Amino acid sequence: MPAEPDDEIRDPALRRAIAELRRPVSLDADVERRALARIRAAGSPVRRPVRLVWLGGTLAAGIAFLLLARSPEPTPPPTASTTRPVLLRLAAPASRVAVVGDFNDWDPAATPLRRTDDGVTWTVELHLKPGRYHYTFLIDGRRWSGDPAGARAVESDFGAPVSVLTVS
Amino acid sequence: MQAGWVVPFLLVLAGRAAAQDHRLAERLDPPTAAAVQRVVDSAAHEGLPTEPLIQKALEGGTLGASGDRIVYAVGALHGQLGRARQALGARAGEADLTAAAGALRAGVSPASLQRLQSLRGDRPLVVPIAVLTDLVADGVSPDEATRSVLDLAREGRPDEEFMALRAGRGGPAATEPGGRPPLRPAADPPVDR
Repeated sequence: MPAEPDDEIRDPALRRAIAELRRPVSLDADVERRALARIRAAGSPVRRPVRLVWLGGTLAAGIAFLLLARSPEPTPPPTASTTRPVLLRLAAPASRVAVVGDFNDWDPAATPLRRTDDGVTWTVELHLKPGRYHYTFLIDGRRWSGDPAGARAVESDFGAPVSVLTVS
Repeated sequence: MQAGWVVPFLLVLAGRAAAQDHRLAERLDPPTAAAVQRVVDSAAHEGLPTEPLIQKALEGGTLGASGDRIVYAVGALHGQLGRARQALGARAGEADLTAAAGALRAGVSPASLQRLQSLRGDRPLVVPIAVLTDLVADGVSPDEATRSVLDLAREGRPDEEFMALRAGRGGPAATEPGGRPPLRPAADPPVDR
C-alpha cells in the first residue's frame, strides 16, 4: 500500500508527531564528548578481531589447500633443445611391441614400437634428457623382454628383465 | 576464538591427504600407494629426489609385483639415494644422485664416487658413474672398473670416451639413432607377464 503524503494527513496530532520526529536531535556537546571518550576507551568492537581471525585463517587454509592438494605436475615432455634422440630396436616375431620405462611412467600404452619392413624388427625413437633410464619391452601385451642391445640393470627388483640406458 | 582455527586445520589436513601423487593412486592399490607416498614424503623432507622413487613404484606396479615388494624396493632406493647424497653432497643434482644410487648398489664405494666427483669438477657425473656401474654389473671388479673410469676423468676426457670404454667391453656404444650396435639375439628368454 503506498504511503500517505504528509500534506494529505488530516489529523493535526499526527502531523505534529511526524514533525517532531523529523526535527534534528541536537545533543549537548558535553554528552557527545563523553560518549566518544567511552567508545575510545572500550577499544575496537569485540566481534571484529574474530572476523579477522576467521578470514585470515580461512585464507591461509585455502592457500595451503591449493598448494598441497594440487596434483604434482606431470613430467613435461622433453623439448628438442634439451633432449637427445634414442633409437630402441627389438627383433621379435610379434603382433605388437611396446616399451615401458622411467621415461613414460612405465605405461604399457604410452610407447608402442613400429614394425619395420622386414616384419620382425620393431623400432621406436625416443627423445630423452641426459640421464640413466630403466626400461623393458612388452611383447604382445604378455611377455617382458630386456633389450638385447642394452645393458642389463643391476637394480632389477621385480623379476622381469630390465635394461638400462644412459643418455649423455 | 579457538573454533576459528578448526575449519582451516581440517582443510589443511584434507589438503595433505589429497597431495598424494596421482600416478600412485591410479596405478597401485590404496595401501601400497599410501605406503609409497610416505617414503616419497620422507625423501622430499630430506631434500632427496622423489621422481626416482615414484618411477620405481610404477615399475613394480606395471611388472605385477606385490605391494610389499614394491614398498621394499622403494624404501631400499630411498636409502641408496640418501647414501648417494652423503657421498656427493647436497649440491648433486637428481640425475647424478640417481646414477650414484645405482652405482652404490652395484658395489662401487662412496670413496670412488667422491674421487670421481673431485676429478670432474662441475661437469655432470651421470655418464662416468653409469659406465662404472655397467662395468661392475658386467662382472668387472669394482677396483678395476673404478681405476679405468678415474683414469679417463683424471685426463679430462669427454663423455663419449667413457661410453667408448663401456662399448669396448661389449656394451651399448651410443644413444643416437644409427649409433646403436647391431641387433643381437636376446640374452635372456622373455618372461611371461
